[in-house]
Amino acid sequence: MTALIEARGVSKRFRQHKRFPGLLGAFKTLVTAEYTEVTAVSDIGFDIAAGEAVGYLGPNGAGKSTMIKMMTGILVPSAGTLSVLGRTPHQQRMANAHEIGVVFGQRSQLWWDLPVIDSFTLHQRIYDIPQARYAENLKRFSTLLDLTPFLDRAVRQLSLGQRMRAEIVMSLLHDPKILFLDEPTIGLDVVAKDAVRKFLAEINRERGVTIILTTHDLQDIETICPRLIMVDQAKLIFDGELHRLRAALGSARRLTLEFVTDPGPLALTTATLTADEGLRKHYLLEREDVSLVQILGEVGSDRGLKDVALHEPDIEEVIRTFYQRRNAAATVAP
Amino acid sequence: MTAYAAFARSGFLTSLAYRNEVWANIFGKLVQVFARVAIWLAVYAGTMSVDGIGIKDMITYALLGGVVMGATRHDRIVRQVGTALKTGDVAVWLLKPVHYPLYMLAVEAGMSAYTFLLAVVPTIIIVALVYGMLPPASPFHAAMFVAFCGLSFIIHFLVAAIFGVLAFWLMTIFSLDWLLGSLVTLLSGLLVPFWFFPEPFGAIASHQPLAWLVYYPSAVWLGQLDIGMTLLYFGIGLAWAALLALALTLLWRRASSRITVQGG
Repeated sequence: MTALIEARGVSKRFRQHKRFPGLLGAFKTLVTAEYTEVTAVSDIGFDIAAGEAVGYLGPNGAGKSTMIKMMTGILVPSAGTLSVLGRTPHQQRMANAHEIGVVFGQRSQLWWDLPVIDSFTLHQRIYDIPQARYAENLKRFSTLLDLTPFLDRAVRQLSLGQRMRAEIVMSLLHDPKILFLDEPTIGLDVVAKDAVRKFLAEINRERGVTIILTTHDLQDIETICPRLIMVDQAKLIFDGELHRLRAALGSARRLTLEFVTDPGPLALTTATLTADEGLRKHYLLEREDVSLVQILGEVGSDRGLKDVALHEPDIEEVIRTFYQRRNAAATVAP
Repeated sequence: MTAYAAFARSGFLTSLAYRNEVWANIFGKLVQVFARVAIWLAVYAGTMSVDGIGIKDMITYALLGGVVMGATRHDRIVRQVGTALKTGDVAVWLLKPVHYPLYMLAVEAGMSAYTFLLAVVPTIIIVALVYGMLPPASPFHAAMFVAFCGLSFIIHFLVAAIFGVLAFWLMTIFSLDWLLGSLVTLLSGLLVPFWFFPEPFGAIASHQPLAWLVYYPSAVWLGQLDIGMTLLYFGIGLAWAALLALALTLLWRRASSRITVQGG
């Protein structure tokens, strides 16, 4: 099967007019033509197949939105090739528009002064959706996301959670093959986040809509996306299944052994001793293939082992460790 | 095409969402038209005609200015186009199979239709009942007046949209909006018809595109142009509209490619 989205060495550099600080600097800015180059996306490549759900994760300013904008065709890559549904997005933006849906968490596509339902009918006209198809989609999605109570209300009177649900429904009315979501859960409360996540997961599973979503929120990815692409400082640092991220970023599991009586210093080949409190000893499991059974076998049954606690770092911790390590490296380097 | 008809309808409905504006609008327009009429009554005090133009003609001219210009709000167009470009909200529009300038034109047509029906017509009726208004010079002139009104709307929209796009490069939306406001007041003939301008300013003013906003439609109603001249000036107005549409298209392309290449 061929990929729905193909990115090869995609980069995006922005040229920004250099500004000088202060009052004199402001005048200097007027007459100089100096530019600073900012690299938002650097040499990123991936393939996404039909029906996948991919989470695009990274901290603020990592280039997530820029990548989404390039895939939807509203930004032109500085280098590399990008193909979406067999087209170059920015060259065939209109043709592409009919087959993709886009939701921006921070930018509304609904008509502010009109009732929600009027925005939907306008959307139907823009995309030439046949009446039967439109009515069916509207009914199904509105039920799933519980839009019916506020369909007649003006968009400016909606809560953020209601508005976001309406945005998502609208983006799906024309049966897009790919749905791009840029931080769809930003600013939502727990209940709204949950509703949005479940809905997206279902749409992906039942209708086979390919989903690409950017987020800071790992929960989004855990519920919706089996596959994770992680970027940091414009570069791709991980692409694969979520549960393999830990291994890829090199975060080790931690093991605590508790004894009835202190067995003395206990070195193991399968794990590294990091702290020794006598009765309680802490180890780091650097190797992924080591199992608890192997470790316990090495400790043996004759040392008075009372309790065992294996600590798996959660994804958030893995990523936090990664960023901290990176920042530390950055401060050490000149 | 059905999409643009739907946009025009949504513009109409959006206006309807702010019902209080209807009354504020009628009141504001009444004050404006009364003020213009009052100025001419003062100028004509005692005399029945100045440079061959009678007081009845002038009152009618002042009212017609309200008819053709009263509904379209260039400030709204400048602000919307300018804001969409400056904040990058226009990206949302680049994602849809729709041309944004045409979308704006359709919405503005809907909004103008609304203002025209609910604010302009009542205002004109009230003022006409108070001061009296001359009928169109002939059925031909009446029909052409309607055509000139359509042309006036198109040129008004194009100029405002061009100013809106310029805001992307030049300066604040506010200053461009203010500049356009003064230009339109003076150069459309809304405040003073060009026949009172000293030469060569009269000749210059009657050949620039803004003259088609108020001056020519009103002159046609009053029968100051004969059949041949009416058609000729309609043709020139169409040419101006085509030129402005081309300018808008080019500027729009430059602005949107700036956004897509440099990210705004």
